[in-house]
Amino acid sequence: MSDPGPVVLGDMPSLSKLYVNAAATAARRRLLGTDLGTALPESSHEVRGIMVDVEKLTAYQHLIGEPATDVLPAGFIHALAFPVAMSVMNRDDFPLPLLGMIHLRNAVEQRRAISFTEPLDITASAVNLRGHRSGTQLDMVAEARSGKGDAVLWRGISTYLAKGVFLPGIDKPSVHMVQADFRPTNPTGLWQLGVDTGRAYAAVSGDFNPIHLSALSAKALGMRRSIAHGMYLAARALADVGAVKGEAFNWDVSFEAPVFLPARVALDITTVQADGGAWERSDYVAWSPKAGRKHFSGSVTSR
Amino acid sequence: MSETGREESVVQPTQGTQGQLRKAVVVGGNRIPFARTGGAYTKSSNQDMLTAALDGLIARFGLQDERIGEVAAGAVLKHSRDFNLTREAVLGSPLAAETPAYDVQQACATGLETVLGLANKIKLGQIDSAIAGGVDSASDAPIAVSEGLREVLLDLNRAKTLPQRLKVLSKLRPKDLAPDAPNTGEPRTGLSMGEHQALTTAQWKVTREAQDELAYNSHRNLAAAYDAGFFDDLLTPYRGLTRDSNLRPDTSIEKLATLKPVFGKNLGSEATMTAGNSTPLTDGASTVLLASEEWADAHDLPKLATVIDGEAAAVDFVHGKDGLLMAPVFAVPRLLARNGLTLDDFDFFEIHEAFAGTVLSTLAAWENEEFGRTRLGLEGALGVVDRSKLNVNGSSLAAGHPFAATGGRIVASLAKMLHARGQVDGRPSRGLISICAAGGQGVVAILESH
Repeated sequence: MSDPGPVVLGDMPSLSKLYVNAAATAARRRLLGTDLGTALPESSHEVRGIMVDVEKLTAYQHLIGEPATDVLPAGFIHALAFPVAMSVMNRDDFPLPLLGMIHLRNAVEQRRAISFTEPLDITASAVNLRGHRSGTQLDMVAEARSGKGDAVLWRGISTYLAKGVFLPGIDKPSVHMVQADFRPTNPTGLWQLGVDTGRAYAAVSGDFNPIHLSALSAKALGMRRSIAHGMYLAARALADVGAVKGEAFNWDVSFEAPVFLPARVALDITTVQADGGAWERSDYVAWSPKAGRKHFSGSVTSR
Repeated sequence: MSETGREESVVQPTQGTQGQLRKAVVVGGNRIPFARTGGAYTKSSNQDMLTAALDGLIARFGLQDERIGEVAAGAVLKHSRDFNLTREAVLGSPLAAETPAYDVQQACATGLETVLGLANKIKLGQIDSAIAGGVDSASDAPIAVSEGLREVLLDLNRAKTLPQRLKVLSKLRPKDLAPDAPNTGEPRTGLSMGEHQALTTAQWKVTREAQDELAYNSHRNLAAAYDAGFFDDLLTPYRGLTRDSNLRPDTSIEKLATLKPVFGKNLGSEATMTAGNSTPLTDGASTVLLASEEWADAHDLPKLATVIDGEAAAVDFVHGKDGLLMAPVFAVPRLLARNGLTLDDFDFFEIHEAFAGTVLSTLAAWENEEFGRTRLGLEGALGVVDRSKLNVNGSSLAAGHPFAATGGRIVASLAKMLHARGQVDGRPSRGLISICAAGGQGVVAILESH
């Protein structure tokens, strides 16, 4: 099969339009019973020459607790790439309903520091459609390069689940992943997340998904209250790991129970050092101090 | 003993700081370009800018994961939440988290005072390495609630019952809702710093032409220093700025002459202070790496200059005995006497340009016979500053003046200049720093090439 090459978008897609379009598509598919197909779109989408708005960068850094340096935080690049990924998931030939998809995991490779002064090309594609015990999952891969043809500086893989959607020909995994029992330890940090946490992150990331904005908008989509953005939580954990991670690192997170707002979240960060005492890895886990349920866990690893 | 060959004029040899103690050297510095308020750093906090300046210093000298003896910095306009500003900046930096830090606040002398205090600790052998610094944001300035609202909020917090709370709330008046913004006025006089300086400028009969010429030279010298690459290893870009945004390389005496006076307008024809010969409100941060000679050698780092000595002074400005910004006029003679030096023994003078009038009033006071006799306790005038040695790479009129960051800017630049000059007439080249500050204070210092 020949590579069709990326579909180059003229402008950064508007997330709000993408959400509206996704809602319309969902309604149309429900009414018409359109056959969604069982394959992911082959085309990747690309936006070139993206310049970061320094005010948005500063607002993001202040909200997340990153030092407001000229280096783009890894989570900020995720937010930058998110509309490009969304535009792929919004294509007519995308086989899963976009709205209501659940972010299961995220893995980022920050290969070198990227300054806000560098124009970026961001490409996104959908790969690895596969079964899940409660639906169908896939990976959205986004890559950021500095100028055409240059090496990939940042790569993010976001794994999403379309809950309750089973496509013909895609089997559930036969092996159930058994979750180990979680026992809360002594936290190294405690976050107080107000009801406006979702709105605040929406303002700096552009992700105005209604499930994060208010209890009312979340209820409209079947949630009992609004929930914190997963990438907001993971980015705060990354910021908490601090400057020890250096300029190149891997950053992973697995999301479990959503954080309903307002909330208190307990966090534990464990530093793992190499034999020589150099930093090797920081593992983090966050949970609800009230219910003892794990919200998310992950690690930041030196590259 | 003194290394100056002027032992005979040293009042008490035991007061000299050289000879008995080990040396504190300036390894280098790093600052971010200074930005006019409301410009490139509008959304950046003091902590952001201090961290950015610190990050650049750490990268330049390979201090990642290094436990520095102590870091001291400060800000003049400071949010109450920033009580541990310097320690927070250290925690956000790649320095070892085991690096202690403390805040200093001495108005515009903050930056120089951090250098002197830390250098003294190094000389005493208490620490081997230190980072001095300062930061200020006039853009992200703290705004306080009014005194009335503050009292009501505190009382409300103490009230236990609903009726008590309602009673407290009933004390609130509409005027209490207006916030208190910071200003540059002196608390005891109500006069702004510019109005104070306008009185001093007029008292010393400093002309408009002389002030404009000093401002012109500041811009010309700073622009030439940038063009010559002088700041290449003293500065890291931040938020898109690579040069101080206040710098006007194309300004001219003629252009400066067209500006209308902004301070001392009640003086009529004697009103000479304009926006061109006064420093604008500015945002920025600076840092300086200090060390013992042993530490610098062990880390294979340069030793640009030695911190010789420093002196603070204050004047009774409240009822006009002396001008608000004239304390360095008194500090310098004391410092020179202790070190057995005269103004002729210096190769560089770094006199902070709060206003062109401040620098020129200071020089006039030092050149005045009567003032020297009656106020400085000398036999005559202190002396004349060779203008060709004054602020040769520009100063605050061109670079801008983020209050607490100015000391670090000057120390790092002067250390580099001294190192480049090396020996002069068989002695280390020598520089004098003079910084005036609010509250009628001033801090001055001597650096020598290493």
